[in-house]
Amino acid sequence: MTKAAISISNLHFAYGRHKVLDGVNLDVPEGSIFGFLGRNGAGKTTTIQVLLGLMDPQSGRCEVAGHDPQADAIAVRRAVGYVAEDQRMYDWMRIEQILQWTGSFYPTWDRAYAGQLLRRFDLPARSKIATLSKGQNTRLALLLALAHRPKTVILDDPTLGLDPIARKEFLRSVITLLQAEGATVFFSSHLLYEIEPVADWIAILDQGRIVKAAPTDELRDAVRRFILPRRDAMDLGRIPSVLDAVQRDGQWSVTLESATQDTRAALTAVAGGDVQEMGLNLDEIFEAYVIGNRGREVSPC
Amino acid sequence: MFIRIEPSSSSPIYRQIMDQIRYQIAAGVLKPGDKVPSIRQLAGQLAVNQNTVLKVYNELCRERVLEVDRGNGTVVMQGNLTIPIDERRKAVAALLREAVVQAIHLEVPPEQVHALLEKEYQTILAEKNRSSHHD
Repeated sequence: MTKAAISISNLHFAYGRHKVLDGVNLDVPEGSIFGFLGRNGAGKTTTIQVLLGLMDPQSGRCEVAGHDPQADAIAVRRAVGYVAEDQRMYDWMRIEQILQWTGSFYPTWDRAYAGQLLRRFDLPARSKIATLSKGQNTRLALLLALAHRPKTVILDDPTLGLDPIARKEFLRSVITLLQAEGATVFFSSHLLYEIEPVADWIAILDQGRIVKAAPTDELRDAVRRFILPRRDAMDLGRIPSVLDAVQRDGQWSVTLESATQDTRAALTAVAGGDVQEMGLNLDEIFEAYVIGNRGREVSPC
Repeated sequence: MFIRIEPSSSSPIYRQIMDQIRYQIAAGVLKPGDKVPSIRQLAGQLAVNQNTVLKVYNELCRERVLEVDRGNGTVVMQGNLTIPIDERRKAVAALLREAVVQAIHLEVPPEQVHALLEKEYQTILAEKNRSSHHD
């Protein structure tokens, strides 16, 4: 594997007795657009805040753009572009003022580039932030995150609250401004259909653990669903990598994490009949990982 | 080049793009020697990952649908196909199989399937002729 722009090992975080991160391990390859998926409350924002040194974990370590956020949060913040979930900026400032103010924190701030982005994002320099629309607000937050030309960018649910056109425009900017320049983009989202076109890597966080991390294409090719015509209970014990198995209307639906010639043959043998195979979309794959029963409850319902 | 992506489809995005480029070539919308957008352009236009477009172009070059024309970018393959005819037949047979399965399910008899196939073939050829007359 290529070098990691972000690496997380064995991260634990809890609020009192409430465990949020329960041993997170993750490597984000340099140059990737990495989609970080999870349900609300899965721990996505907590992970991102630890990566930026905004919160300290109970144990584990991370490295972000070559720096340790727990030892040197300032170095991480200088090297990384960050857009927070529902980012708030000083309402009373004008856009041109917040550019100047934010720029003063970054030795690598590129004023010419900031000006270019201002035009590209169609932002009125003299307007007060309080008067901006949700879409303009998000574009301004992205501008502030990119104008110091970071090689690693972390976006926490950046498209939250945007309309479909603004979302697509935002994702297009991620491709043309960041991927085209070789930057690494790590972004969380709960809108799966939106992630798939842009992300070349995907990780699924569930109950404080990474349940899957893989290139998007690999995930789509490997996870398959099989429909078996059979009414009674089945012994799936010998079939490896079952994510979900349900029985309904005289048929079994079995979802496998990695379908191979061997597992296909084994399933056909168990079914004792014709097996129908299908690919799944990303929503269905996510669901299989997050709420699949892993074949444990295989008695007919 | 117009390409449409269906995000909730169970067909992966690279396959959707690939199928549409193939169709546009078959229908003569794209002609031999026509330049296709650069990887960056198409990725930006569709808001899809550049590696996805790279994968599509690599695969279509491998299948000799597209070729890299030095100094001119990626273009629609010119000249004759060099893939052996049985390979080409095999590729078509695999796709027809899906159509036949559907026909059996929907109880469309073989002679009607033949007629439909003939009709589709003629429709796309006609589109192709129409687009070549516009040149």
